[in-house]
Amino acid sequence: MTLTFDEVLKRPKRGNIDEALVELKRLLKDKVSTKPADLFSYSHDYWLITFHWLLKGEVPALPDAVIFPESEEDVVNAVRVAHEKGVPLYPYGGGSGVLGATVPEYGGIVVDLKRLRDLRLYEDDLMVEAGAGVNGYYIEEYLNRRGYTLGHFPQSLYPSTVGGWVATKAIGQFSTRYGGIEDMVLGLRAVIPPGKLIELKPHPRTATGPDLRKLFVGSEGIFGIMTRVWLKVRPYPEERFLLSFASESLEEALDSVRRILHRGARPAVVRIYDRVETKRHFYKFEELYGKIGTVIIVEGDSRLARAEKEIVEREFRGVPAGEEPVRHWLKTRFNVKEISEFAPIGVVIDTIEVAVNWSRAAELYENVIRAMKSVKGTLMASAHASHFYDQGVCFYFTFAGVPPKGRSAEEFYNAVWDAAMRATLDSGGTISHHHGIGRHRRRWLAEELGDAYEVLRKIKLAIDEKDVMNPGNMVM
Amino acid sequence: MPGKWDWLKDEIGFSNLLTGGRMIFKVVQGKLSADDLTKCALCSNMCRHACPVSIVEGRETTSPAGKARIALMIREERIELNLDNLEPLYTCLGCDLCTPYCPFEFSVADLIRPVKEEAVNMGVVFEEFREVFENLETSGDVYGNTDSGADGSGKVLYFRGCTVRNERPELAEKTLTLLEKLGYEAFTISETCCGLPAYNLGNTELFKKVAKRTAERLNAAGAELIVTSCPSCAYTFRVLYPKYGIKLKPQVLHITELLGEVIGGLKLKAAEAVTYHNPCKLAVHLGRRGLLKSLLENVEGLEIREPRRELFCCGHGGSAVSRLKPELAEEIAAERREQLRDGAARVVTACPSCELALNGDGLEVIDIVEFLLERMEE
Repeated sequence: MTLTFDEVLKRPKRGNIDEALVELKRLLKDKVSTKPADLFSYSHDYWLITFHWLLKGEVPALPDAVIFPESEEDVVNAVRVAHEKGVPLYPYGGGSGVLGATVPEYGGIVVDLKRLRDLRLYEDDLMVEAGAGVNGYYIEEYLNRRGYTLGHFPQSLYPSTVGGWVATKAIGQFSTRYGGIEDMVLGLRAVIPPGKLIELKPHPRTATGPDLRKLFVGSEGIFGIMTRVWLKVRPYPEERFLLSFASESLEEALDSVRRILHRGARPAVVRIYDRVETKRHFYKFEELYGKIGTVIIVEGDSRLARAEKEIVEREFRGVPAGEEPVRHWLKTRFNVKEISEFAPIGVVIDTIEVAVNWSRAAELYENVIRAMKSVKGTLMASAHASHFYDQGVCFYFTFAGVPPKGRSAEEFYNAVWDAAMRATLDSGGTISHHHGIGRHRRRWLAEELGDAYEVLRKIKLAIDEKDVMNPGNMVM
Repeated sequence: MPGKWDWLKDEIGFSNLLTGGRMIFKVVQGKLSADDLTKCALCSNMCRHACPVSIVEGRETTSPAGKARIALMIREERIELNLDNLEPLYTCLGCDLCTPYCPFEFSVADLIRPVKEEAVNMGVVFEEFREVFENLETSGDVYGNTDSGADGSGKVLYFRGCTVRNERPELAEKTLTLLEKLGYEAFTISETCCGLPAYNLGNTELFKKVAKRTAERLNAAGAELIVTSCPSCAYTFRVLYPKYGIKLKPQVLHITELLGEVIGGLKLKAAEAVTYHNPCKLAVHLGRRGLLKSLLENVEGLEIREPRRELFCCGHGGSAVSRLKPELAEEIAAERREQLRDGAARVVTACPSCELALNGDGLEVIDIVEFLLERMEE
């Protein structure tokens, strides 16, 4: 898939891009850019292997234009023109997706939604209305000032957008209490081919057939472009308790959290680190070093939080390690620098998140770690469990390695991913918990979904008969 | 206590040393590292939310990491060094509000500066900047107006700066009045620019030339202390001049720093509510983040309302954005006005450029000197 800039620009185009650009420039005027610097900037998202290509002067793809809509009308016009001219359209938020979902694989037009950034709070309804391009940090800051929180803190909080969260089915670090974005979406507006703005109103609940909102949550732009969402908000927590524990085994820590949840307590944050990651993140804390480290945050209404803290302390089998490790985690949780440090010298590093039921959780962990380490060139593989449910858990794996002689970075990268995906499926897990599918993971989706894959493909083409919405992403 | 990288040594182990292990250990030991621009270019924009350009323009190309990627590609000659490709690099306010959120504490403005310098050296310069360079060359004033004022003498030299001289001469008068009331016999000289506009636009050679000329004039004035209304001038004198080996004999203080030393002895009263706008150069580059607010706290009866965001550039700092993309600079100023409106209708600041950029549209923005003078007179 890697090409030099020149090669990418010389590729055959899909649809009538020239006519589409004339029409878009007439309608959107200076909100359309064909400047090379802009085309380059939207050639990738945060799909990590693309940075190895970038350093070699290669890009996965280049769009023919980028547009910056400032209203829903602009988006309607963009979708209408794309549909009429058969030109691909790729929605773009903060570009922090890690699987290439916004890579303009077939050329065409990238739609950057960051200028749709209006915000309105409805206090009586505990709800916020946000333009798709509202920055993550911005919405949380806006709510905090008014005494509320969204409770959604993905590691991409600072660079990502609200629309991106919904489109990728994002989840935050405080998910065990507040849920993923799918638990927060009350309603949304989206523009679908041939250029129609639809609205799914923000009712508290509705039984008007299948939940069409869910169709868009995690859709990664293959049906249309979300322009506006309504999200649940919560009162800012009155009290917060920080707890940490050292355990002798991963099974013991997992079992402790399972019991806590099954008693009905909902800590906001629970993170169980394997021995490698406990050493890596908490090396300053001797009581945790070499153990399985767990950090927990309980928060909310004061009385309820106290009761939940009591349940956590009663059920967690391990040695309490105090508040400091949690403070350390809070302080460093957005401190992302590994890619910048290691990718330029040729180290391939990435993360893989999967989910599994409690009954096979420990087995999946062991199998995936073993599978990744079995690939020649892998130097380390580790994991933490970061999102928890009554039914199971999400594991977040990290691997790093150096391609062995004769193997490219991409080949090594794909080999580790293949091993991890195979082990996940064989261990009864799902291949993605919150990073989604994108272009990188699409080759495993058919096996995961079975016959339902064809259902997804048919829905896509029923809405988007000319396949102009993010073609090639998720489904082929 | 175990070290930061011990986990990696344990994990990689001896058997893997022959493959990529050695490479990683070199990184761990600091013997192998990517350059800073590359590191920034490979980031997922963890500082995007703090960048006023990113928030308002919302364009990936001018996001902090986006700018670094363009600069890297130009440096590596993978994209052409031309005005179109340079435009994103000049869409940087130089406010450095990105730095506190960077895991490496980088200043994006500093990382991309070498590419701008290269462009200027090669003569790839926007027309909008040529006038600035010409003005600085010929008149030593960014506006092109030669200062014809007489040279005074004494211990305290009040340096007005180009913006005050050209756009806010009454602030200069009031500052001199305030200094007199505080017991300082301040004087002025016929000034030339500190040189920062040239530096911001990547013309480092011109900056050094203007700076040397200005330093000579200031040194010749024989003062012990230079006080200025403009935090950018104070930053240039204190930080950039030493960095480029330009010696300035007198001590340099921004007016707020001098006021910070004496305000405790003043009787100041007010019965109103204000908010404040921290200039980036004062708060970030001179590291005096709490100073403006603390000055206001000395005014008895004054209600200080916090701005919605403590730090956000007025959009006009750095010269390039307001010259190249005035609409964007105004949009950023409007965004800042909106944030300030959550505090109070009256805003106190300490930078003439911020004051000019933010005044209006329902907000009354006033310099700290004028505000304190009012309080003293009452």
